[in-house]
Amino acid sequence: MADQSKKEKENLSKSISAPQAFLIHLISGLGLAISLWVAHNFYSINLVSHPSTTLRLIWIVESAIVILIYSRFRIDPQQCSYLKAVVRGILALPVGALVNALGAIALGAPIGIQYLPKTINWSLLMSSFTVAPAASVFGSSWTYWQRIFAQTKPNEPLEYMICIPAHGAVIGGWFGAWPMPLDWERPWQEWPICVTYGAMTGYLVGMLASSGFVLANGRRQRLKED
Amino acid sequence: MGRRWWMKWYSWVILVAHVFAILIFTRGFLLTRTELPYYSHGSDISQSPCFSSTSTNHSWNKPVVDRLVIIVLDAIRFDFVAPSVFFQEKKAWMDKLSVLQKMAFAEGSSAKIFKAIADPPTTSLQRLKGLTTGGLPTFIDVGNSFGAPAIVEDNFIHQLVENGKRVVMMGDDTWIQLFPHHFNNSHPYPSFNVKDLHTVDNGCIEHLFPALYQDDWDVLIAHFLGVDHAGHIFGVDSLPMIEKLEQYNLMLEKVIKVLGSQSEPGGLHENTFLLVMGDHGQTLNGDHGGGSAEEVETSIFAMSFKKPPTSIPSELDTSSCKLDLDGKKKCASSIQQLDFAVTVSALLGIPFPFGSIGRVNPELYALGAGTWNLGGINARDSSNLSELEEWLLNYVNVLCINSWQVKRYIDVYSASSVIGFSSEDLLHISNAYVQAEQNWANSTKNLLLHRNERSHTLLPALTRQIDFYFSFLSNVSELARSKWTEFNLKLMGIGLGTMLISLFIIFLAIQRVNNLYTTSLLSPGGSGISFELIFAFFVVAIRACSFLSNSFILEEGKVASFLLATTSIVRLRSSIMKKKMLFEALSFLLLISILRFTIEVGLSKQAATSLFLSASPSWVLGVAPGHPLWTYMAEIGPILAVILLACLLCRTIANSIFGGLWKYITMATILSYVLIAVYWGAESSIPTLALLLQGMAKGHIPRMIYAIGLGQLLLFAVAHLFVKDRELDYKRSLVVKTVSILSAWSPTIIILSGKQGSLVALALIIGGYCIVKLESVEDSDSDAIFTFNPLAIAQWNLLAVCLFFATGHWCAFDGLRYGAAFIGFDEFVLVRQAILLTIDTFGFSHILPVLALPFLAVCNFLFGQNDHGKDFRFTQLSQMYMMYGLITATTVTVTIICVTIQRRHLMVWGLFAPKFVFDVVGLVLTDALICLASLLYSGRLEDDDTQAVQRTEQ
Repeated sequence: MADQSKKEKENLSKSISAPQAFLIHLISGLGLAISLWVAHNFYSINLVSHPSTTLRLIWIVESAIVILIYSRFRIDPQQCSYLKAVVRGILALPVGALVNALGAIALGAPIGIQYLPKTINWSLLMSSFTVAPAASVFGSSWTYWQRIFAQTKPNEPLEYMICIPAHGAVIGGWFGAWPMPLDWERPWQEWPICVTYGAMTGYLVGMLASSGFVLANGRRQRLKED
Repeated sequence: MGRRWWMKWYSWVILVAHVFAILIFTRGFLLTRTELPYYSHGSDISQSPCFSSTSTNHSWNKPVVDRLVIIVLDAIRFDFVAPSVFFQEKKAWMDKLSVLQKMAFAEGSSAKIFKAIADPPTTSLQRLKGLTTGGLPTFIDVGNSFGAPAIVEDNFIHQLVENGKRVVMMGDDTWIQLFPHHFNNSHPYPSFNVKDLHTVDNGCIEHLFPALYQDDWDVLIAHFLGVDHAGHIFGVDSLPMIEKLEQYNLMLEKVIKVLGSQSEPGGLHENTFLLVMGDHGQTLNGDHGGGSAEEVETSIFAMSFKKPPTSIPSELDTSSCKLDLDGKKKCASSIQQLDFAVTVSALLGIPFPFGSIGRVNPELYALGAGTWNLGGINARDSSNLSELEEWLLNYVNVLCINSWQVKRYIDVYSASSVIGFSSEDLLHISNAYVQAEQNWANSTKNLLLHRNERSHTLLPALTRQIDFYFSFLSNVSELARSKWTEFNLKLMGIGLGTMLISLFIIFLAIQRVNNLYTTSLLSPGGSGISFELIFAFFVVAIRACSFLSNSFILEEGKVASFLLATTSIVRLRSSIMKKKMLFEALSFLLLISILRFTIEVGLSKQAATSLFLSASPSWVLGVAPGHPLWTYMAEIGPILAVILLACLLCRTIANSIFGGLWKYITMATILSYVLIAVYWGAESSIPTLALLLQGMAKGHIPRMIYAIGLGQLLLFAVAHLFVKDRELDYKRSLVVKTVSILSAWSPTIIILSGKQGSLVALALIIGGYCIVKLESVEDSDSDAIFTFNPLAIAQWNLLAVCLFFATGHWCAFDGLRYGAAFIGFDEFVLVRQAILLTIDTFGFSHILPVLALPFLAVCNFLFGQNDHGKDFRFTQLSQMYMMYGLITATTVTVTIICVTIQRRHLMVWGLFAPKFVFDVVGLVLTDALICLASLLYSGRLEDDDTQAVQRTEQ
């Protein structure tokens, strides 16, 4: 009985079904939407007026959702309990934030005391888009990290679901930085507002694309089995 | 032999093509008027052939009005002022300034509405310059129009002050920038906050009305900005705009009432003249700067409080009239803004500005000349006729002075300007002037002397004389406009076309080199397009496209460092993938982060000197200056860096491949480095160091360094020409040559760049090293098009661009570091100082990177392909140079395209044109350096060739 459930779990972690993938992405997307909505309606703040508070709200909600969900699909359920996966996700969050922040600074993000909270919150959000789910799922397995983030060669649905939205968020954020130097004098051109918009858009697009990939992959799998 | 001859000549062909294209384009694009520093003086009038109207020598003509009130309403469109019957349909914003219409169309009024036509660029500052000097825009002065743009040309404000008139100003602070010391009293308000509709206007109104009751001024200028700002923010068809216009209407009504109430004989405003005018128009979106009809058409409302005005002969009347719904006739005349300065000067009786090329407008002049109370032109009784004659006579005399002054300006200009007018045009103008003068001297003057006898012929004679003057003056202004303000699109097109063709040639050349070697080297099956190539293309394309927007040009350094950081992140990714060169990738990223901060410091310097960047202090890192540790580090750091450079060079020389003359060339550089360290030590503010080195004559050190550098270059040339380097293989000889030429250049560039120089040189070395190392991270796929890495070249180029900005330069004329030109010299010699300035400006961004490019190729040799001959390596190197040239030429071509597109843009002279000049100079320099490199690094290919030929013959 126990064996069976273990096997089931292993199957679950190994191949994620298309509806499941949809559901996970839907929840992540909804998490973003709800946190923005709550910020707007309950605290009456938004990204433009209170960037760092809003960002904090978003990354807390989003990272919680992402870590809790993706920890269920950890690759090594035998060695690693659910709780452990959650913990390593939480631990990876600040590390990923550091990497993201350093990257942003190399690319030209302003540094200075008044930008510090914004940068920290933004990079934590980026981390929960990119690093946190990967850490929950893969742990410290370097080969996976290298394949997903350096080579961009995901093989299975789960890897697609981590890899594509993460890349989408980074590329979206990169493009989001473009309007910043323009002289339109709009408040949203400030760091990190438009970068956040870009990253969120990229993340959503990435999730759509990864759903598509998972679907295509599933169909291919089924054809193979037939 | 035959297959490579073209590679030697190719770079020269490109250089010539680029120079040709740039010259042609520049001739069509740059407005080439130069400003003359001459001023008109009251006594000059004695040189003119005209009657001096008054006994004193210091007045050019009799003043017509005593006091002048100029109310400038910024960005007033013609249809704000003119009655709506002039337009196809009545819009919401029309007829709002009803008091002006009421005054202008009242029976027997002495007011008139003019359509004033401005010369683009229609920005406030340019227009104020044009209005006060009576000249056309220039390139150089608009180049620094955002700095401290005090007018150096003669203008009527200057003349007012010179002739003892008291000028009061209120409103837009641009006036204070233009005329810092001219006003008796001024109430400036900041003009830069576009969102603020009311501060300037309310401040103006607050000071305007008390001033109207004072007698301590002769000319009052009030500049309102609300309509301009409302247009920028809300557009023309908006409620705030209409509210503004209604506010102005009330204000003007009150002004006219106050002036009118004191205009009785003996009153304060007995002989006051009111001008309500716009400096330029605006489009319906509230934009201005360009040359469209909406932008150039503004309005002048002129009113004299004397009644009624002079009626002028109908030939001089330019007004067009429409019947309104009630059948009343409503008229509006037309005037060029060019004519404004001279007309106002004539009204006030002051000397005309030296550089003015306008003419005294008869209608505006007549309005002020209310002292001649004339009836209609048709009145036939003799007294009226004589009064009309009197007025015409006076006007002819004014025109005579006017023509003489314009002719004087044209003569002086042609004599002193580099690019003057063609002799044909000058002859044409001279003829017109001589004709007018002869007519004046021969017939009219005689008629005037005997006018009592032949009064019936006087009027036609005067009119004919006026015609002559008009024809001369309009000839001049027409010529000046066509030469000074109009872009020659044909020439620009030819230049651009040549640029595009040259790009195509470079592209073909790269292709051809590939075709030579693909057959021998690469498997034909490959797709040939690698990710690297696409990415490199993408980066270059983004950078090129960013020049379309003025904001991106302003922040070009940041854009370049952003792109460089992006490429380096991509490199880091692949180095993680390959698990090698991780250290290099990370240190390159770190280097870019540091460069990024120095670029921002440079930008903040730019912000300090120019107003339009002051809005972004947020990007700047707030380092607390003044800390002793900082100063100590700032003094010691560069010296340590120089010593480090010397050590690096020492180690390089110690390598056995350096032999003979090359060794000595390179060793001299170490001496130069030591001299630099001594020089900086002597300059430093740390007392012990300074005292230690005080004894040495530090003025001579820079000159010694220049001399050593020159000597090294000469030696290099000798070595290159005469020393056989057969024993070395091509790779070694390439390394030796590159190192020696770089070491010959570097001390000069470092000392010219100041203390940052050595640090930047270190950055360049580290950056170059990282790029070279990282280039080999990517597998040289067998199916790649190129035998080298295109992304590495793009990175090399971006690094060069970053260094340009990191050394504190930017693409504007105030971005030149003039101080660098005087290191080692105190007196100014044009050629010498220009060379030093060029080396300083382009040293780190063009000279060193282009000359150092062989390192990239050498690295390629190290990693495989060792079996190929020298021939192959040279080809590869020239292909790299082609690629580098292609990247530079592409960005410059896009700059040219952007400049062409944006030629009527608000900031074309402030931003696009300087950027164009810097890019173009950089391109020519790069091309020239590539030619030089192709000579230097070609080695003894001839021998190789002959051997090859012999072999094939055998």
